[in-house]
Amino acid sequence: MVDASVARRLVDEMIFNLPKHDPGQRPVHTIGVGVDAYFTASDVAHKYCIAEHFSGERICAKVRFSNAPGGPEQHDGRSDVRGMATRFLLPSGAATDLIATTLREFFARDVDDFSKFTKLDKHEPYQRESPWRKILDLLWLKVPRRDPYPGEKTNASAGILSYANQHRFAQLAVFEAKMIGAPVSYVRAAYHAIHTFIVEGENGVRRPVRFSWQPVAGVRNTDPDALPDDDYLRQELDHRLKRWPVRFVLMMTIGEAGDAIDDPTRPWPARRVRVIMGTLTLTGVPKDQATAGERISFNPWRLVRGIEPSGDPILRARRDAYEVSRKMRGGTACPFSNWSCADGE
Amino acid sequence: MANDESWLDRFVNKLHKKPKPWFKYFGAYILVPIWARLTPVKRLPGGARPAIQPGDNVQSMMNLIMPLKRENRSPIGRAKAALAIAENRDQIFAGLDNVGTVHFARFVIVNDNICMFSFYDGDFTNYIRDFIATIGGAFNDVVKLVEGGDALIPCEENVEAFIQWIHEHDLYQVPDTPTDFLRDQEDLNGDKAVSPVNDDLTLLPRKLVLQLRANANVSLGSGYRAYPGFSVAQVRKKLELGW
Ligand code: HEM
Repeated sequence: MVDASVARRLVDEMIFNLPKHDPGQRPVHTIGVGVDAYFTASDVAHKYCIAEHFSGERICAKVRFSNAPGGPEQHDGRSDVRGMATRFLLPSGAATDLIATTLREFFARDVDDFSKFTKLDKHEPYQRESPWRKILDLLWLKVPRRDPYPGEKTNASAGILSYANQHRFAQLAVFEAKMIGAPVSYVRAAYHAIHTFIVEGENGVRRPVRFSWQPVAGVRNTDPDALPDDDYLRQELDHRLKRWPVRFVLMMTIGEAGDAIDDPTRPWPARRVRVIMGTLTLTGVPKDQATAGERISFNPWRLVRGIEPSGDPILRARRDAYEVSRKMRGGTACPFSNWSCADGE
Repeated sequence: MANDESWLDRFVNKLHKKPKPWFKYFGAYILVPIWARLTPVKRLPGGARPAIQPGDNVQSMMNLIMPLKRENRSPIGRAKAALAIAENRDQIFAGLDNVGTVHFARFVIVNDNICMFSFYDGDFTNYIRDFIATIGGAFNDVVKLVEGGDALIPCEENVEAFIQWIHEHDLYQVPDTPTDFLRDQEDLNGDKAVSPVNDDLTLLPRKLVLQLRANANVSLGSGYRAYPGFSVAQVRKKLELGW
């Protein structure tokens, strides 16, 4: 386990990098929307995982979609990572969380990498490249740097690129983040929980797995050349859900001996067995967003019998970092929680 | 994107996003050859990568592109290729049944190439060896129409040469991630560096362009599979189709 001072340092480093920060808000994934939902496991899910939400009963769920950057500024239309945090409220009174992003891999293998990355992940002035520089790029068969978005005076892309140039393990996540685009809707993107978890099946067999949400509506991004709209994702979701519920399928990929279990920077081959674990149905955007979207606090370690964390050092670090952050911003401790940071588990 | 662009900004942005034919021509026929000369790129080998994990040893792809001989690059030559497959259909199907590790196989004519695309389990060499042992005779009719094929006939007696030839005509499989593609290039150049390195990721577009010059035909990604991780034998057993 990382000690509490490390968790605090990680959160402080994230806050330090923000051009603006409201202490009552999350230091990352600040802008988001809470959604009501329910989950129904597939008929095979319980064979692979004995956790309560895979029993087949209809499970009440709370979801929060978010834009990954920290800070109060909202830029829905900018190309960036999105988050989808899901809480399953189990019939036994316990709860479990699954936190995912549109990024498939992470850029750091451990806390040390993460700190080094955060040091470079600083906002710097960002200007339009001169046309001559762009011509030079084209002659070098490079893609010219994108023009700043309207109002974009700073960003962290230079620092992130220099980190990736020095660290091959970070390159995949950085590439993917750079090419990720902006979804036309929070529900038109696929989300990945990145880390490996160990699930226990009915017959006691333990398997390393990775989870992803696949949108039934399909993946679709906005036109990258159009002027981005700063504020559309919440209304889009609200309007959509007023007309019809929306579904996501939970896919679980089973790892094999030799796959990266404890390293979130490394993907697994596409040939691994994939199991459909169930369907999440989103039903509506509650009016009280202070509770559903702001105070609610997720933690990747809020797990129940049948699912365990792997030894991934990033996953380990997140446990206390999320709790520290929750306390700092006055977030609600999970009322259904079967786990709390103070337990020192 | 913003509207404080000068005419030159707009011109250059357009050149990049919607290039005029002259600029495309300039890129393809002048810039690319210059860079290919200045920063030569080796041809990446084809076929599935060697694997030890069970999941990587099932449902591998073979994308075999066999260019027809010059004299067969015509509708008549293509018809001969089509006939060679049609006439040997029974042998080919019986052979593939006997190999027992092939999920799907199909023959396709694209321009003046006869192609065989398949998904197979296990080792590539064993697949081709089994295949050629059982249908070598039928395959001679195909091979005699393609470039370099004469040296292999009779295929069933030139097994090692045939395997090598197939391997050389099997497409490079561009990995699923851009970084694995870069790692393939680095491996080929003997670059085993680990962090900290001094890469320039902005060069990826050029590296890709030059690689696609060296490997004009490639297979994109490792492909979609509806039921990944299962062998032919497992699927047939589960479906109770017998063997
Ligand atoms: C050491 C690495 C990481 C650190 C230190 C970190 C830290 C944090 C913190 C402090 C928060 C705000 C928590 C709160 O106040 O409630 C947060 C939110 C979030 N993080 Fe991370 N994180 C890390 C890695 C990841 C990874 C790998 C993922 C991808 C699965 C991820 C996805 C998210 C999402 C989706 C949220 C928003 C959750 C919500 O809507 O409440 N984070 N992170």
